Amino acid sequence: MARIGRRKLFKLTGAGALAARTGGIAAILAAGRAPAYAQGVGVHWLRWNDFIPASDVLLKNEIAPAAEKALGFKLNIEMINGNDLQARTTAAIQSGSGPDVICGLNNWPQLYAESVVDVSDLAEELGKAQGGFYEESKVVANDGKKWIAVPWCVLGAMVVYRKSWFDEIGVTKFPETWEQYREAGKKLKAKGRPLGQTLGHTFGDAPTFTYPYLWSWGGKEVEADGKTVVLDSKAAVDSVKFMTGFWKDAHDEGGLAWDDTSNNRAFLSGTISATLNGASIYLLAKIKPDTYQTEKGTPMFEDMLHSPLPRGPAGQFGYHLPMSNMLMGYSKNQKAAREFLRWITSKEVYQKWFDSQQGYSVGATTVWESDPLWKKDPIMLPFRAAARAGRFPGFAGPADRKAAEGLSKYLITDMYAKAVQGMPAEDAVKWAHEEFVKIHAA
Amino acid sequence: MIEGARWRRWVFFYVPLSGFIVALLFPFYWMAVTTVRPDRELYRPWMAPNYTPFWTLHPTLDHIRDLLTGTLFSTWMLNTLFISITATLISLFCGLLAGYALSRLKFPFAGSLGTLIFVTYLVPQTLLFIPLADIIRNFHLGDSPWSLILTYPTFLIPFCTWLLMGYFKAIPKELEECARIDGATRWKAMVYIIFPIAVPGILSAGIFAFTLSWNEFIYALVFLSSPDEKTVPVGVTSELIRGDVFFWGELMAGALFGSIPVAMIYSFFVEYYVAGLTGSVKG
Amino acid sequence: MAVSYSLAQRRPYAGAPRRGPVTRLLEDERWLAAALLLPTLVLLALFIAYPFVKGIELSVTDAKVGVPGNFVGLDNFRALANDSIFRVAVWNTFVYTAVTTVLKLALGLWLALLLNRHFRGKALTRAFVLLPFIIPTVLSTFAWKWMFDPTFSVINWTLFRLGLITGRINWLSDPTLAMVSVIIVNVWRGVPFYAISLLAGLQTISPELQEAAAIDGARPWQRFRYVTWPLLLPVTMVVVLFSVIQTFADFQLVYVLTGGGPANATQLFATYAYQIGVGTGLLSQGAAVSLAMFPVLLLVVIVQLLYIRRVETH
Repeated sequence: MARIGRRKLFKLTGAGALAARTGGIAAILAAGRAPAYAQGVGVHWLRWNDFIPASDVLLKNEIAPAAEKALGFKLNIEMINGNDLQARTTAAIQSGSGPDVICGLNNWPQLYAESVVDVSDLAEELGKAQGGFYEESKVVANDGKKWIAVPWCVLGAMVVYRKSWFDEIGVTKFPETWEQYREAGKKLKAKGRPLGQTLGHTFGDAPTFTYPYLWSWGGKEVEADGKTVVLDSKAAVDSVKFMTGFWKDAHDEGGLAWDDTSNNRAFLSGTISATLNGASIYLLAKIKPDTYQTEKGTPMFEDMLHSPLPRGPAGQFGYHLPMSNMLMGYSKNQKAAREFLRWITSKEVYQKWFDSQQGYSVGATTVWESDPLWKKDPIMLPFRAAARAGRFPGFAGPADRKAAEGLSKYLITDMYAKAVQGMPAEDAVKWAHEEFVKIHAA
Repeated sequence: MIEGARWRRWVFFYVPLSGFIVALLFPFYWMAVTTVRPDRELYRPWMAPNYTPFWTLHPTLDHIRDLLTGTLFSTWMLNTLFISITATLISLFCGLLAGYALSRLKFPFAGSLGTLIFVTYLVPQTLLFIPLADIIRNFHLGDSPWSLILTYPTFLIPFCTWLLMGYFKAIPKELEECARIDGATRWKAMVYIIFPIAVPGILSAGIFAFTLSWNEFIYALVFLSSPDEKTVPVGVTSELIRGDVFFWGELMAGALFGSIPVAMIYSFFVEYYVAGLTGSVKG
Repeated sequence: MAVSYSLAQRRPYAGAPRRGPVTRLLEDERWLAAALLLPTLVLLALFIAYPFVKGIELSVTDAKVGVPGNFVGLDNFRALANDSIFRVAVWNTFVYTAVTTVLKLALGLWLALLLNRHFRGKALTRAFVLLPFIIPTVLSTFAWKWMFDPTFSVINWTLFRLGLITGRINWLSDPTLAMVSVIIVNVWRGVPFYAISLLAGLQTISPELQEAAAIDGARPWQRFRYVTWPLLLPVTMVVVLFSVIQTFADFQLVYVLTGGGPANATQLFATYAYQIGVGTGLLSQGAAVSLAMFPVLLLVVIVQLLYIRRVETH
């Protein structure tokens, strides 16, 4: 043992001496400088961990090394659970240190507007090059005068439903109005296959359903001035009234407090016939056809279709989670971070990531609608231009801090949840209205 | 033992004890089954005829393999161990000295200082973590295990101090006085006479402190950023919950592997633990 | 232990005659106390006092994330008094703390009495019963979340198979049941801590006392009531004290299990503070919510501390 150890040691020192002699001072300097350089100017990018693990693998194993090559500095990508992103962001801003670029959900750029850097040049360049941004991406990343974040992507939310089950009750085309949807749901529920929807405290599935639902009835939080609360309206009361019946008739009543993952599980287990979700249910079933099967033993993904939410008296809407990259004001690597953002949103680089998403995320710009990706799988096609019908909470006012407060207090969602639990529709609306008034009075 | 007929022993001892054990340990059994359950069985609704909650006919080790090879779980374990042990040692050191001072020495404001130390335990973490992030930055501790090692004692010291105070109070004054008559200094009497007697108390405080550090989530989430610096709770949740999909098998495997080893260690210490707490309550 | 005892006996003799100035200073109780308390006070001052003062500062401004804000006096607290969700959160927190504390105490005591007997596998049982307390809360709560999931609930399956229910129970969806679920998980997590701590207390009680009482003809219940319980009271108070504080400020469990929903049915102080402070970025209001629980806790603690002192002096 001792002898081997010594020999090894000898070998090692010999190699070191050899390297020093042949490589000379230059090699040592290079070896010594490279890490220091990388540490000093490297860019730290914080984002959520993707539903699609392949995308994260791509970012870590391909994009990060490619960035180092193309940009000359190290790219450090950190991914955490989406629920925990805000705690990190808040602490980073308050302490003035942390990730250089944070990929935020929703309208976080507006929440942290004072702590981010103007990136108008980047965003405008990107918008021009790639066919312009979707309205939803724009309202969250632009404060009306300048761009406070570079839009990254939009997570489409669509109703995913079981084709054969809808066929069985004689509905061969997805219902176009809420009444039709309710009728269909009633029949499905009678067969033990209810619709699934959460009205719980989740950042994804609950608000992406309740807001568009409210809008489709003509209800809204505030007027366009962003101050006058107008939630307490006939339209809103009607929507709540309809919801309570709709819920009892057609929905899985256990879903009231589901989180964002529950409906995925319920759908894949075959207990619900339709639910509003990202493409994750379909894509997961497609990746694992042997695991997720129908009651007949066929792969479940072959029995799935996507559709936008039905139409209400006032129209048809969607709310798709936008994501945008904020360049943090405290960052000491402003220049490098800008270079990074320009590079990662460039067509060629973004293309790789976009492909890995398989349509789960759509681009923030319209150019991605014409991507060949959409030709691959017709089931994913409804997601292609989904973001066009998108609106953001706070409508008809701006997507500002007040809108975010209403969103994060789950006021709209809880308004429906309360009614479903038995509170009279008028009272539920009044409660939410008053909460909004308090928010806008502050 | 319960006297009297055999049925009494069953009704008053075995049945309730078994009830407790089942209720307390069932979730762990559940985690174990989930860990080895193949994915295609995971998503079976409870009404399904082939729903088999308590066993699986096709056990698989895939999830455990994924956890150990696909994530940095072993690194997280080591990090958590290092952080928890160091934070515990620091807290014990402080708690031991402070507890001794507060319980066995006479000085002005002893009572109010004791209460003050206790009161710090009341300050909610949800309030602290944001200003704390500021301090961590100033000390250049961000993304270093030391950010946790130095902040965990804030909620560990009050408990350790109070536990040990009770213990020290129970030790007769005469012990020290004898040593001092023999010529020992106060310091030496404390270190060589009192502390050795307090070993069970120290152990119990240590085990408690260790458990709390092992469990901590918010500070670990906020202060650490590199994947290979994370602790078990943060690492597991940030790696195995992706968007709206949970990786249940791996998640449960992580939960099990993150707790059973600690329980094993505890089984060696538990008698000390019990004895230690005993001391603290005499006071 | 043996080694340290022998050390303790030998050392003082060897080192007795020579004493330096520091040693002499430390002979004074006040100086020694100061020296001993120094590390604790430094750590606590740095990592608690400063952030705490910062927190108070935040609560009287209108600071938001990244915006320092101006002094607004008690406006934030006034706004809270008028906040319907806050009122719900206060009520929930009290219910949650009260119910779980009573249950944990009762069940923990019962379990401690059971574990205090001699039986085979005692040490192992005592260690493994601690598991719910050891496992990281976040992870165990995920397991519970699944056990409560309306679609997969193993609890429903069991109750159904036992013939106790005919339909399913929507554990987390019904406002009352959601609170019940949260309480169940908290009790599950807390009982081992109570049990082990109380077990320690039980072991200090000399068996002779019990025997004497038994000879006097006391029934088991009377023996517990008049012999065991009074002796156990001091430790019970300490355990309850620490547990109440922890429960009152509980965050992780609810955050993971329900996020405060449905419709704020399980919203607590800490989760609401987090929702406002972090979710909405209104740091000042979040701090105000957090601080609002401080005086309440302080009151509880003072009452309990006074009580402990009284018991101790008896």
